[in-house]
Amino acid sequence: MYASLLTRRYLSTKLMPYVAVLAVTVCTAMVLVAWSVMGGFLDKLLASGRVFTGDVTITWPTVGFAHSDDLIRRLEARNDHVAAAAPLIQTMGVITLPDDQVVPITIRGIDPVRYARVVDWRGVLYWKPIDAPVPKDRAAEDPRLDPQWRARMEAALRDGLSMSRPDPVTGKPVPAAVPGIEVSGLSRRQPGAWYEFRKESFGKPNADGSIDWVGGFMPDRSVTVRVLPLDSKGRDVALVSKTLPVANEFRTDVFEIDKRSMLMPIDVLQKLLKMDESDAVAAEFNPYEPPGPDGFAPVPTTGRSPARVTSVVVKGQPGVAPDALLNTCLAVYREFADAHRGIVPSYAAMRGNERFPPRLIQTWEMSQAQFVGAVRNETGVVVTLLSFISLVASILILAIFWAMISEKTRDIGILRAIGASRAGVGWVWLRYGLLIGVIGGLLGVGLAYTVATNINEIHEWLGRAFGVQIWNPAVYYFTEIPRKVDPANAAKVFLGSVGFSLVGALVPALRAAWMDPVRALRFE
Amino acid sequence: MTALLSATNLQKTYRLGRVDVPVLRGVSLDVRAGEFIAIVGASGSGKSTLLHLLGGLDRPDRGTGGDVTFDGRSLGSLSAAGIDRYRSRSVGFVFQFYHLLPELTVLQNVAIAAMIRLGRVGYLRQRGVVTARAEELLGLVGLSHRLRHRPAELSGGERQRVAIARALMNDPPLLLADEPTGNLDRASGLGILEALVTQRGQTGRTIVLVTHDAEVAARADRTVRLVDGRLSGA
Ligand SMILES: Nc1ncnc2c1ncn2[C@@H]1O[C@H](COP(=O)(O)OP(=O)(O)OP(=O)(O)O)[C@@H](O)[C@H]1O
Ligand SMILES: [Mg+2]
Repeated sequence: MYASLLTRRYLSTKLMPYVAVLAVTVCTAMVLVAWSVMGGFLDKLLASGRVFTGDVTITWPTVGFAHSDDLIRRLEARNDHVAAAAPLIQTMGVITLPDDQVVPITIRGIDPVRYARVVDWRGVLYWKPIDAPVPKDRAAEDPRLDPQWRARMEAALRDGLSMSRPDPVTGKPVPAAVPGIEVSGLSRRQPGAWYEFRKESFGKPNADGSIDWVGGFMPDRSVTVRVLPLDSKGRDVALVSKTLPVANEFRTDVFEIDKRSMLMPIDVLQKLLKMDESDAVAAEFNPYEPPGPDGFAPVPTTGRSPARVTSVVVKGQPGVAPDALLNTCLAVYREFADAHRGIVPSYAAMRGNERFPPRLIQTWEMSQAQFVGAVRNETGVVVTLLSFISLVASILILAIFWAMISEKTRDIGILRAIGASRAGVGWVWLRYGLLIGVIGGLLGVGLAYTVATNINEIHEWLGRAFGVQIWNPAVYYFTEIPRKVDPANAAKVFLGSVGFSLVGALVPALRAAWMDPVRALRFE
Repeated sequence: MTALLSATNLQKTYRLGRVDVPVLRGVSLDVRAGEFIAIVGASGSGKSTLLHLLGGLDRPDRGTGGDVTFDGRSLGSLSAAGIDRYRSRSVGFVFQFYHLLPELTVLQNVAIAAMIRLGRVGYLRQRGVVTARAEELLGLVGLSHRLRHRPAELSGGERQRVAIARALMNDPPLLLADEPTGNLDRASGLGILEALVTQRGQTGRTIVLVTHDAEVAARADRTVRLVDGRLSGA
């Protein structure tokens, strides 16, 4: 009882303990903010890439596999587990932007309607009319709000949904591309989290020396796509290019995706990649020998080669566990491979084995595992490092208590003289450390919560006031700093703070406990 | 009549670097229950040291340093917890230099002795009784109007009176007082002494009191003098 009385008194009459509380508060907040940002990052990472991946993806990369429609039919027949499936072609290419920049890009060919049944890609189309400004656009400068632009935005949305744009002359819809909003560099992200496009025109020289003046609104422009078609064995065919109008742009908020990928209609991409149905060429065909009468080798065909896609994306029925869905997909693929033996990649190749688990039929979690694992690891490293730094608070408490005990030596002698035990006087200080840890920990958790929930505002303010930019979207994928204060983590950090405070108080408490009472009493 | 407190051949030597400074060189003393003994002696003769040994605050020299017996039990044989209990329940200590806790109020300084004795649960259960007794004792030493003051706001004499009240808080059978009246003017010093003596009459408390004051010593049943580390009757 006297312990609580004394700790209360010591806390209310001395300044130094407040310094200790402050140290604990800052350390707690620092660890928890870092953890929340990293945790939020991980969370957002897990949630975001999903716009372009199904729950399960079946892939034979680059060259693709045939008869995907049969596979989709078989998958969708399993409607107890499978909600929908759609074809996807994913390839690498380069595109020429309106200002003649050429950039490398990941191209995804999708069927706008079928793909929407598996993932909600429509929600990421950026250019569309909106009625209210986005939360951070305080000045309401978003061009999507502008009544003058409304009709254009409506058209862009319509074009985006159908992935086509009316030909200016005939009015007939032409297949169109939807690049990520960061691809062109013509749309700039504003601090208010909306995009401004380059409204003034820029000159574009033609071959004959004349100059076209063009504006920076991407849905008015077009891009030229170059891809490298490969045959089903991976041999190169030719470099092909095609100019596509831009229908709209998309924005996922994952910087890497917004900057480096583009959507286009699957049938157009399939033709470009020569993955559409075609004459099959004999495997032993050599174009140079022996020459035919016209100087060219005759092309022996072995029938028709079916159209190919690189992936089939699958959406599970609600409530079906990823593993159950994966097993269903594996079983369906096995039937499928049996039915098209020798034409599609074998079940064994797709599935792998126990020690080398499937790479080519995998759940979304599996496809992200390595990356997510790395981020998780990094989170662990950061939290551990910061925790070590927080030991400084322990040391501070140790130093402060040591000094206080030196000053309070006589008090300790008095307490012992009137009957307090060693453990009793030790407990006075341990309890004191505990109190500092609890107060500092609670304040720290509160501070962390406040900082974490306002971290983007704080970051913006830092940027405005000091020109500091800590969060670079190009490095960290997301254009906004993600954060999530996990109560379980908050509890762990809190307990850690209390623990560290106790550790700091322990040594001085032992010193107090082992003091000789008579010497302590004679202490001046 | 058997002795309540007895010291046999107590020796206490302080070591200053290489030099041994013998302070007590064989002190033997028997104090009967209810007896009031005054110890006199020159400054530095070891009176405070003797009192510390009697109160279980310090131990005599290892080996041949003698022993203190209270109520038939040797302090040397008690466990650490036993010594703590002895200090808390059997002994009330009044120090030469008051030794109050500066952060606590006068009332808390007195009540803390009971907090230590009763422990958390016991104290919370008897809080009212404890406070009432502390107030009563402070009234006895004439400090009823200073209950919420801090020791720093009191005069030396007033602080000593608080220390006396604290020593009596647990109603110990043995009171060890180290010049309790040394800082008081004659009148209030004698007033305090009067209070102690009256109290003793009612409770049969045993008192060992160190003093320089012949008048105070005269009130004791017996006076012993500490000279050259030994006691002699005076
Ligand atoms: N911890 C210690 N180390 C060394 N010497 C000590 C120690 N404590 C006390 N002494 C010495 O022991 C002797 C006795 O001290 P003590 O305080 O018992 O004297 P005293 O009789 O109470 O004197 P006073 O009347 O001035 O209070 C003194 O000479 C003192 O210097
Ligand atoms: Mg003395």
